[in-house]
Amino acid sequence: MTDHRRLDARSAPALDGPLLYARSRTVPRALAALLTTAALAVWAADGLDAYVDPQRRVPVVALAPLFAAAVIGTSLHTASDELDRTAVRPWWRRRLVHLLALTALTAALLSVAVLGHASVFGPPAMIRNTLGGTGLTAAAAALLGARLSWLPAFGYVSAVYLGSAGAHGRSSPVWAWPVRPGGGTGAWTAAALVFAAGAALYVVRGARVEGPRA
Amino acid sequence: MTLVAERRRETAPRPHHPLRAEVVRGFGPWAGAAVLLTVVVALGADAGQWQGGWAETRERLHMVAGMLGVPLALAAGCWHGGRERRRRTGELLASAARGRLARLLVSGLPLVLWVIAGYAVAALLAWLATWYRAMGDSPYVIAPLTDAAVLASAVLAGQVVGRLVAWRLAAPLLAAGAYAGIGMLTYDSGDNSYAPLSPVVDGMTDSVPVWWQPLAMTVWAGGLAGAAVVAYAARRRAVALLPLAAAIAAGTLLVRTGDGLWHTDPIARRQVCDTSTTPQICVNARFERLLPQVKDALSGLTGRLEGVRNLPVRFEDRPGGPARDEVELPMLTPIGWSVVRGELADPREYAWAAGMSLYGRSECDDPAPSLDAVDNAVEHYLAPSPLEKDFDEQLAERGEADRARLKDRLDARARLRAMSEQERRAWLSAYFATANECDLSEVPTL
Repeated sequence: MTDHRRLDARSAPALDGPLLYARSRTVPRALAALLTTAALAVWAADGLDAYVDPQRRVPVVALAPLFAAAVIGTSLHTASDELDRTAVRPWWRRRLVHLLALTALTAALLSVAVLGHASVFGPPAMIRNTLGGTGLTAAAAALLGARLSWLPAFGYVSAVYLGSAGAHGRSSPVWAWPVRPGGGTGAWTAAALVFAAGAALYVVRGARVEGPRA
Repeated sequence: MTLVAERRRETAPRPHHPLRAEVVRGFGPWAGAAVLLTVVVALGADAGQWQGGWAETRERLHMVAGMLGVPLALAAGCWHGGRERRRRTGELLASAARGRLARLLVSGLPLVLWVIAGYAVAALLAWLATWYRAMGDSPYVIAPLTDAAVLASAVLAGQVVGRLVAWRLAAPLLAAGAYAGIGMLTYDSGDNSYAPLSPVVDGMTDSVPVWWQPLAMTVWAGGLAGAAVVAYAARRRAVALLPLAAAIAAGTLLVRTGDGLWHTDPIARRQVCDTSTTPQICVNARFERLLPQVKDALSGLTGRLEGVRNLPVRFEDRPGGPARDEVELPMLTPIGWSVVRGELADPREYAWAAGMSLYGRSECDDPAPSLDAVDNAVEHYLAPSPLEKDFDEQLAERGEADRARLKDRLDARARLRAMSEQERRAWLSAYFATANECDLSEVPTL
């Protein structure tokens, strides 16, 4: 047994639990996709001339976190579900750290895109949308499966993005949170609740097992 | 024994067609539900801005189908295209007797069916909502049919991408890319001669396309998707050049025609009039059934103008400016402002706007201050603004000059009210003869 371990240590670099976990969830690839998304968001926001009209930032503030949330959602997929379930240690801590770390990193990266001149669609709106979008995809990963977790969030956010132009009702900050200016309490509460619910659902249940018929 | 076997053969249920399982199971119903929900949420969120107007409903449906439906259909097709890879049944299917094209279509067409069904239900719901509050005009069928053809093309094109690209993020990336691409093609403010190629043409409620535009759009989108399908799956790939050539021809036709693709809707050029009032009231034929409401809202104004001369002949409501002796009816469009869900939102404010359009010194450089009191008295008598009291209070709270201005206004209103009917009619006739004059000496005094 001891010989085997020595042999392994010589032949391959030693990988401990977290790194193995990250590799099994293709986190490096997700990180690369998130960095590319952030770079694209910076490029897109730069060409918008938002000082003329802050509303011009809305496409970037709504769509970049949405795509980043899709990246995070698909990174929750595991190819070794049956094996994972035989583990002795509880999974919830790893799931929580995975989700929180990627969400925090995304929020920080995307906020860079809308820095600069004071604007109603600045970093707070970007952070809020990252939270809300990730909450939606995390919930969808738990209910539908990680690989298709982007679908409900895409449907919802894009429908709100188009439909919110004429929304002036009292409840509109709650359901139209992806396109509201940064400071509103209603939109923040809605996005935070979505994130809390989605994260809790995923952390407790994990991504839905996707059978061969997925 | 033979008898039993024969009986069994008679009663055994007929096996279902393989397509049936593809249609009723799997991802198709989910994709249809996603399209339905997306379109319904996007339409429902601002129903006040299209409900009641058939052209507005057509435009809204068309925009939502193009901006949201097409990316979603591409993503759904792309996801579905990767199914055999996820199930690891690609090799098994490759050993089937049917060719690649048949296999692609058997898995792709049921998804097309569901996506179109989702859109069709959403379109029917939108039509029902508008029919319930319709103000005139009739449903436009061709535009949703064209949108359905474009959606079907998007599903098939996405299916091919899904077969080719083995990446988990291919579908959302395709959706985001399509969204950004269509948005740039449609809304790019620069010299954008390629805009007719976009499946979305925004804000054309008074216009309709030439008869062949839906055909050309269908060939353009369908040709591209057909070329992708044939190039991927057909035995003779060179055949893909045929749909590609058709798509390029249709695209060239669309781009070359440019603005000529659109012309004013014949019904929007007509108007429906009530000639029993002074001035006569006309509304656009698109909002024919709104005429009684408009007449009611303006009844106070037109009643007070009875017997007054030098007035415009009618309030007109056609695209373009008013003719001589006409004034423009206060705007009914875009709906959602003065008209919401087939009803005038604020008849008093509408009457005030109509009264204000009868006289105007907006082109005067510096109208004399005393004209302000005269104009205000007429405004107050014909159809006062719902905010008049607030304006008066604001003037009273400001400086000395504004208080004097308010006093002049109140005096002028009282003098006009104190006149006898006949005297007032004569005075108003003289006033309207000079309604656009900037010279104080021309305007009758109060």
